[in-house]
Amino acid sequence: MFCGLDLGSRSVKLVLLDETGVKESRVFATVDFYRQYGRRTEEGLVVDFAAIGAGGVEKVVATGYGRNTLDLAGVEVIAELKAHTKGAVWQTGLSDFTLLDLGGQDSKVIKVKKGRMVDFATNDKCAASTGRYLENMAAVLGVSLEELSSHSENPVELSATCAIFGESELIGRIIEGHSVPTLSAGVNYTIFKRIKPMLNSLHSEVLVFTGGVALGQGVRKLLAAELNSEVVVPPQPQLNGAIGCAAYAMEKRG
Amino acid sequence: MARIGVTTTVPVEIILAAGHVPVDLNNIFITHPEANRMIDMAEDAGYPRNLCGWIKGLYGVVVGQKDIDTVIAVTQGDCSNTHALMETFTLAGIDTIPFAYPYDRDYDLLKLQMEKLMSSLGTDWEQVMTVKRRLDGLRGKIAELDRMTWQDNVVSGAENHLYQVCCSDFNGDATLFETQLDAFMAEAAKRNEFTEDLRIGYIGVPPIFTDLYDYMESMGARVVFNEVQRQFAMPFGIEDLVEQYRHYTYPYGVFDRIEDIQAEIERRNLDGIIHYVQSFCFRQIEDMIFRQKLDVPVLTVEGDRPGKLDARTRLRLDSFLEMLR
Ligand code: SF4
Repeated sequence: MFCGLDLGSRSVKLVLLDETGVKESRVFATVDFYRQYGRRTEEGLVVDFAAIGAGGVEKVVATGYGRNTLDLAGVEVIAELKAHTKGAVWQTGLSDFTLLDLGGQDSKVIKVKKGRMVDFATNDKCAASTGRYLENMAAVLGVSLEELSSHSENPVELSATCAIFGESELIGRIIEGHSVPTLSAGVNYTIFKRIKPMLNSLHSEVLVFTGGVALGQGVRKLLAAELNSEVVVPPQPQLNGAIGCAAYAMEKRG
Repeated sequence: MARIGVTTTVPVEIILAAGHVPVDLNNIFITHPEANRMIDMAEDAGYPRNLCGWIKGLYGVVVGQKDIDTVIAVTQGDCSNTHALMETFTLAGIDTIPFAYPYDRDYDLLKLQMEKLMSSLGTDWEQVMTVKRRLDGLRGKIAELDRMTWQDNVVSGAENHLYQVCCSDFNGDATLFETQLDAFMAEAAKRNEFTEDLRIGYIGVPPIFTDLYDYMESMGARVVFNEVQRQFAMPFGIEDLVEQYRHYTYPYGVFDRIEDIQAEIERRNLDGIIHYVQSFCFRQIEDMIFRQKLDVPVLTVEGDRPGKLDARTRLRLDSFLEMLR
């Protein structure tokens, strides 16, 4: 059994994997994870792998924000975009595609050729196309994230240059009397608009879509409708980075 | 002998020939232990939050430290924000002299700008050329230090950056600077070659991050080309001073910069380029052009305030280096 760990900005994801697929997966809030399983030592922070259920595994590979600040004893740490590339290759069996990952606070676009990352773009200090933005907008609309994420028809025009100002703009549209489905579609459309320049510059015929945002139908349908690419969402898009780590661990075993 | 602040590289030969001390305000700002306070000072005075940190830092240095007599402000060829910076200096009672690099590199216009500067500082061509010939030797040594960086592999990216960036004002004292440079080069010549496997070029304005070079080295990559810093050092060996400043790529259009970068990518055998852009800088737009025109992978890194690399930028650097391997 191999363990992959994705230390994200908002959540930590853990998967246990063997040749037959994902055996187990767990998601922790980032703060809870460090509070419960982290321990400060002389050298830095050490994670108690036995306590999170990864004690008996053959190898642990991790990625994410902890990379340079964590001392992960006995753990190999790999670059995040590499983990995501591996995860997408492993989950889809494809080797030439563009990967779009929309996570809690980050958006990434990676161009993959022959199974290797050849170019990438990420959002810089802006969360207006991420899960966090969707959660805020769902709260403004008073609907669940699932509900918000499901719409793509007749989007209301929104500009959303900023995740925070986007809220007041949305409230303005609510007051004009638009319906929740069209407002939701509008929110989803702003996500598409923000990432479109990145997708254009790293275009491929196949787009693999991962991250928590890929769980909803709205953005997925918009991507399929607006882009000249086939959109593939792997079975567990939100765990892609952790799966990539575990797949790498398995590959490394030889 | 006055302390003359400069907002970017200007014909430093003129300041020295007039018997004054050149002070690159950028260097004072970025090496100041309380660099962030300089920015706060500018913001407290009313500078907008969404404006380049360098400009605010320069304001804070001059207005806060009060030991600069006059500022030469480059109003064309560097940054249009310098216009307003100059105006706020005037408001604060500081003398300023504008200097403009002609966009089209016009020889006569540039010469005229230099002559105007000579007459405002009180010197002439003869004195200026004496200084120029004296500095040529120093610039030649800097060119050698640069060669030792990419060819002998005994000078680190940070050292290369530091010595070249100091050529805008030679730390106010060219003689002392030369002594330090000689000592450094003699020491470096005895080193073993660095062994980092990735050779990286750095383009764009100097970084506001304080640990970018060190971080890259810790990740097994080394910067062996500093574009703008090398331009500041003007290692061209050109006789005519006007030509020297026409040859200097930074204040003119982006396409000549690209030609220069392209040639150095080949010569120095670079694996990739880090393009540093400053938050809120108009030069960010040029990123688009670099990405299209350069044939090695380019990572764009953005910085706002002085300090260490943030987690997100480190993560992007890691992934980029990983990709190049
Ligand atoms: S970084 Fe850009 S905005 Fe800032 S001073 Fe330089 S040219 Fe101007």
